[in-house]
Amino acid sequence: MLKEIIEGGWSLIAGMGVTFRRIYRPVVTVQYPRTQIEMSPGYRGHIEFKKFPETGTHNCVACSICMQLCPTNVIKVQGEKPNAHAEKRCSAYFIDFSHCSLCGLCVANCPTRTLKFSDEYEMSHYCRWESVVDLVQRLEESA
Amino acid sequence: MNAAWHYLVGTLGPDLARIILGLVGILVLVQLNAVFLVWLERKVAGHIQARLGPMEVGPHGILQTIVDGIKLVSKELITPRHVDRKLFVLAPIVVFLPAMVGLVVIPFSRHLQVRDLNVGLLLIFAFSSFNVLAILMGGWAANNKYSLMGAIRSVAQNVAYEIPLLLTVVSVLLWSDSLRMSSIVNSQAQVWNVVWMPVAALIFMICATAETNRAPFDIPEAESELVGGFHTEYSGMRFALFFLAEYSNIFIEAAVATTLFFGGWRGPLLPGVVWFFLKTYALIFVVMWVRWTFPRLRFDQLMNFCWKILIPAALIHLVVYAGILELVK
Repeated sequence: MLKEIIEGGWSLIAGMGVTFRRIYRPVVTVQYPRTQIEMSPGYRGHIEFKKFPETGTHNCVACSICMQLCPTNVIKVQGEKPNAHAEKRCSAYFIDFSHCSLCGLCVANCPTRTLKFSDEYEMSHYCRWESVVDLVQRLEESA
Repeated sequence: MNAAWHYLVGTLGPDLARIILGLVGILVLVQLNAVFLVWLERKVAGHIQARLGPMEVGPHGILQTIVDGIKLVSKELITPRHVDRKLFVLAPIVVFLPAMVGLVVIPFSRHLQVRDLNVGLLLIFAFSSFNVLAILMGGWAANNKYSLMGAIRSVAQNVAYEIPLLLTVVSVLLWSDSLRMSSIVNSQAQVWNVVWMPVAALIFMICATAETNRAPFDIPEAESELVGGFHTEYSGMRFALFFLAEYSNIFIEAAVATTLFFGGWRGPLLPGVVWFFLKTYALIFVVMWVRWTFPRLRFDQLMNFCWKILIPAALIHLVVYAGILELVK
């Protein structure tokens, strides 16, 4: 009985020690709208184009594998050939990320590896159309 | 200030002037204390959980409680259809009253005391049991199963924990030979009571925490089981009164503990009031610290802890302490 009381009492004091140390240790939360932090590399925002230094732009050839794989059909790719001998290039790439489940099939299966996850996290809007992103335009604006 | 005091005494007489000034002082203290304690509670909780707590309103969120208070005042007082109307309205008032009466006899400093009654300590404990009545009234009148459960638990808990609480107080009274608060403080002129009876101080703090329905003894309002317990159906300012009373009771608990065990306003260098508030708020901090460290007890654990451990411990302490005192004297 006495042993139980002493051991129990000691565990209570140890517990209070843990919480007391927490009081003066730095906090882990961020005051969000005031301060913003870099997203970690593993974070999945909606997809965006990678920029390749060799070409100075994306490498999308509008093969539309991503469009066919997408489980929620949120991707729409359009390509064009400037002339009969040139390679096909992407002219427009739209996603509607309000339906996107961030499964990553498009990123994993892109033959030219030009898709990646962005670090976008402010994804709430007043209008549904605002969740539709033009990736080509987004790449041009980011440059 | 002096002129105003003389004017008041001249027109009203010393007794009435003392009553009015005391009442105003107590009302101001109760409000300010609640505003500060709610803020402190949220800050302590935040930092213990590695957060910051309120930060937006005022520097470090110090004005947050005032803004919350304004919101509560402006809200509608909802009275559900099937309640016992008289009791429902009366309960928040009854819960608030003893919280104010207790402050009348507390010695904040050598001279800063509204009334130095010769039964001061008795008055505090007598009125603090009103708290149970008010909670029972609120819980019963609301005609809601959660409220009633909270009220029943509260009564069972408060009745049980009052016994060891008063037993430890008897140990203090054996030393001070008086129920007068100022005599209790004066009896600790050389050594604080906590040095001679740390066990009593510990039991007192545990029981007082249970009396004020604070975690880990907050089963009367256990959010995860009873929604809000006895104040489930209360809204707006009526709810705020319950809240105000809770924080005033915490203050009284800590103030009485300071007076009984920690030498009251006595201390070197600084003035008495400063020492008194320093000790009181240090104790309140400990109470908050405990709240955010330990999980809530189950009801049977709570009752077992009181009847099987605290009451025997308090009784043994009383007998041993009385024996030692008899030998020494």
